[in-house]
Amino acid sequence: MQGIVEILLLPLIGAATITAFKGLMPKRLPGIWASFLVGVAFILSVATDVRLSHLSGAHRWITGSAWNFVTGFGPSIHFQLYLDPLSAVWLLVITGVGALIHVYSIGYMGDDPGQPRFFAFLNFFIFSMLLLVLAGNLAVLLIGWALVGLASYFLIGFWYQRPTAVAAAKKAFVMNTLGDVGILIGLALLYFHYHTVGYTHLFAAFSRARPGSAFFEWSAFLLYLGAMAKSAQFPLHMWLADAMEGPTPVSALIHAATMVTAGVYLMARLYPLLRLAPVTHELVGVIAAFTCIFAASIAFFQQDIKKVLAYSTLSQLGYMLLGVGVGAYTAGVFHFMTHAFFKAALFLAAGSVIHALNAEQDLSKMGGLWRKMPWTMAAFLAATLAISGIPPFSGYFSKEAILGQAYTSGHYILWGVGVFTAGMTSFYMFRLFFLTFFGKPRDQKLYDHAHEAPWVMTIPVVVLGVLSVIGGFFGGWLNRWLSPVFHQYAGAPHAALGVGPLFGTIMTVGLAVVAFGVAYWLYIVKGTAPQAGIRAVPGVWMYKTWGMDIAWMTVVVNPIKWIGNWAVEAEQGLLAGVMGIANGIQAWAEDLAPIETGYVRRYALSIMVGVVALLAFYLIRIGFIS
Amino acid sequence: MFLVWLLAVPLAGAIAALIAPNRAAKGVAAITSIVALIGYAGLLFINRSSVNVPWIPQWGIRFHLVADGLSLFLLGLSVVLFVVAIVASNRDLGRPYYFWLLFLEFSVAGLFVAVDLFVFYVFWEVLLVPVFFLLTGWSGEKGKKAAMKWLIMNLAGSFFMLIGIVALAVIHHQDGAGFTFEISKLSGMAMAPGIGSWLFLAFLVAFAIKAPLWPLHGWMPDTYRESPAPLTALIAGVLSKAGIYGILRVMIPIFMPQFREYQTLLLIIATLGLLYGAFLALRQTDMKMVTSYGSLSHMSMMALGIFSLTRAGLLGTTYYMVAHGLMVGGLFLVLGLLEHRTGTRSLRDMAGLNHSAPRLAFYFLFFVLGVLGLPGLPGFAGEYMIIQGLITSHFLVFALIAGFVLVVAAWYMIRVFQAVMQGPAKSSAIRDLMTRHVVWLVPLAGLVILIGVWPAGITSHATPSLYHAMHFVGQGGGVRL
Repeated sequence: MQGIVEILLLPLIGAATITAFKGLMPKRLPGIWASFLVGVAFILSVATDVRLSHLSGAHRWITGSAWNFVTGFGPSIHFQLYLDPLSAVWLLVITGVGALIHVYSIGYMGDDPGQPRFFAFLNFFIFSMLLLVLAGNLAVLLIGWALVGLASYFLIGFWYQRPTAVAAAKKAFVMNTLGDVGILIGLALLYFHYHTVGYTHLFAAFSRARPGSAFFEWSAFLLYLGAMAKSAQFPLHMWLADAMEGPTPVSALIHAATMVTAGVYLMARLYPLLRLAPVTHELVGVIAAFTCIFAASIAFFQQDIKKVLAYSTLSQLGYMLLGVGVGAYTAGVFHFMTHAFFKAALFLAAGSVIHALNAEQDLSKMGGLWRKMPWTMAAFLAATLAISGIPPFSGYFSKEAILGQAYTSGHYILWGVGVFTAGMTSFYMFRLFFLTFFGKPRDQKLYDHAHEAPWVMTIPVVVLGVLSVIGGFFGGWLNRWLSPVFHQYAGAPHAALGVGPLFGTIMTVGLAVVAFGVAYWLYIVKGTAPQAGIRAVPGVWMYKTWGMDIAWMTVVVNPIKWIGNWAVEAEQGLLAGVMGIANGIQAWAEDLAPIETGYVRRYALSIMVGVVALLAFYLIRIGFIS
Repeated sequence: MFLVWLLAVPLAGAIAALIAPNRAAKGVAAITSIVALIGYAGLLFINRSSVNVPWIPQWGIRFHLVADGLSLFLLGLSVVLFVVAIVASNRDLGRPYYFWLLFLEFSVAGLFVAVDLFVFYVFWEVLLVPVFFLLTGWSGEKGKKAAMKWLIMNLAGSFFMLIGIVALAVIHHQDGAGFTFEISKLSGMAMAPGIGSWLFLAFLVAFAIKAPLWPLHGWMPDTYRESPAPLTALIAGVLSKAGIYGILRVMIPIFMPQFREYQTLLLIIATLGLLYGAFLALRQTDMKMVTSYGSLSHMSMMALGIFSLTRAGLLGTTYYMVAHGLMVGGLFLVLGLLEHRTGTRSLRDMAGLNHSAPRLAFYFLFFVLGVLGLPGLPGFAGEYMIIQGLITSHFLVFALIAGFVLVVAAWYMIRVFQAVMQGPAKSSAIRDLMTRHVVWLVPLAGLVILIGVWPAGITSHATPSLYHAMHFVGQGGGVRL
């Protein structure tokens, strides 16, 4: 427990102190203080992980519980923390990437009057996310799960005077509540069966169970519902694209690198349960593959730099959960890690661009920026190569591992979808890269004012860019590090990183290179405008997200509102009925005069006087007796 | 004896408030309620406090009060919320207002500790009076009508309960065991099936009207709409719990066979109420009515916990009553502050107030999140236990519907917050909170956080009493895990 609690508390202290003393703090202090605390948390995390690595493989975990959470109707549920190599990976990425993004935000939010509020929320998010991954049972996990959702709600709606931001925040909150409820009911089912929600006890019990009963499918599906909402899997993906209303560092930290990968964490954590629920496990992979290609297609013709990145995040989350769905757990976690590097780099670099262009996010106003922002361009390029899966950049290794294992485990269709999406990814990412940094400036005025970001922003971007280049080489270490986790219980025979067939690799990389060529030819050689393709079918469908907004309104939101209207009418009828009865009684009472005066007031008073007299009398009497 | 003194404090304070000069009335009331709170804190250290003396021996009526794990926390809820409501009231409301408030505190406290049905009934009746006068004297334009509805519907309910109470005593007498109104002696009593069902219905109607539970909530909309904020906070926070508490305290020990017989029907009705309130809350444009219908929905959630007939469900309801009372009370008071500042309650007339009143927005959001059941705040643990109860009794369908309603609750509560506080500022700036508001908001929020992260503080104490109450029906494994 020592060391873990401190890591958890540091950002919470930051959030509390900034909220309480923001009036007294000089302008820059909240950002520096918040970054400092997360930086210390990162150093402590490294130290804790070193300590963890000294434990022998089968016992490589640290756990402890603080106090009883609920008790009284069965075995107590404790406030319990748990650190094992799996949570340690998340711990490092959350605090490490988190610290870099905090530092970047000092520059990015430098002129915003809401700065203290921003850093308090950001620290609160780090605390909640750490609670989520350090939880030792599903109840504590759910608290962290909901609190990251709340932090996300705060930060999406950070600029709360923008109606779009407010609407986006509401959508994110409600959709994520659906996921929370899934986890809530799922954990209640598990508690009912096993009288515990603690990981170690549950998983030990799972290891002894035989797969296939409806109970396991229900619990696994309900927990997956939580993962679906948080990791924005189809059809609960809508909120993530809208979440781009938040400040860009938030998009980088919460809506790309960390929070949205919580679903990957949960599903990897629950691998012993997924073994028992083969249908749900298969569903995870199928929905992931669909989300992967679906989101990639939407990203194709987006006009907003952050929207492209948002849909690419969706698509990459699809890859991660595809890895989980085919049993390639380590590969899924690996892709989470590399994605945290390259997607954070992309978002922060995009943030620098937006910052340089006075909050302009429209691609049709960009172009040619490489001359003005060489460092940002370099980091963006490194990350683009990584996400496109070009060897030897980081994304290549992790994506290859997922696709290879999808193939070797016999999921040929899912594999095919993944390979094709890799090509699509390369196209839309290079389209974005070229439209932003190359070609002629499309808005000369904005271009003239553009400038490289200050060092406080550039350094984190460059560090993340370097990590996107070399991140792939952490694979071997990650494989060894996670192997005790996936050997602890039954259910993950193929969790280790595997290699796919050579022709698969050649196809994936080949498609990516061809897509790069097409993007180059279209946007550099021919100089095609960003708007090209969004007028005709099928580009217009892709650009308009395949009508998912309308579908949600028609299928879910409007029917609920109709039922609401119907309830309003029913209520009016009911109240009219009550009024009728009340009037009837009053008329009847008046008929009975003079026995009943009809004055309810006098009647009420007489009850009261009688009762008080009675009570007072006996209270006095009791006083005499005892 | 301690309990009698505890009850005497608000009664004495009420009289003092009536005698005191108009300007001092609020001070007298506040001090009285704080003294009661301190007394209550003392009660927490006495393990089990009770008074039991004969009252009308010929009929076996005893003045029997008990503060056990079941009543202790509801008593706590009421003494806390009365302090808050009195402190949050305007100073210029005059002596009678504070007299009636303290008198209400007295009757509610008495109700929560009475374990003799006759005494219970007396407090139950007395309770109607102060609310009636507060509604007629200090409400909006339709306050008199609301008061009339409140009184007529609740009197009808207590009429049924009176019949039920007398019938129970008579049946006990006919069994040759003499007259008694003691709940523990009446529990487990054999009744002819037909009579049992009718009596069950009589009690259920009385308690359902008070809560209120759908479809017997006819008095609720007007009363909640018209009453001043402190009174709404007390009705929604404390008085509504009296109905649910009655089901737990009186009906569970006596009518377990009937509960089991009609369980599915009861669950269906409660679920309909759950949905009904939530859907109505979603379509309201008056911020107070959103909260009121949301509260109606949450009352059905508590009923679901009881009707699951499991330990988890009953315990969850016991805990959730306290949690919900504190949070919804706080929320109604914050809404009152808002209405006072903006002069409106319509969501259409407000927007972007966060800009001029960030502290008000902070506490508003805090209670909104609490009421919608954010994990970490107390609503969550209560709802969890209730859903656990439903699952334990193999009613997964009801658990799923309850889960769906939690999503709708998130929707309608966040909608209110955003409509009032966010978006481009529509109306002119308002004053933010001042120290005199923060002095009651901070402790209340602190208490909410405390019981939210440490539900076991309540559940571990409530458990023995709850099982004690259920023990009498436990033959044949009455209540599942």
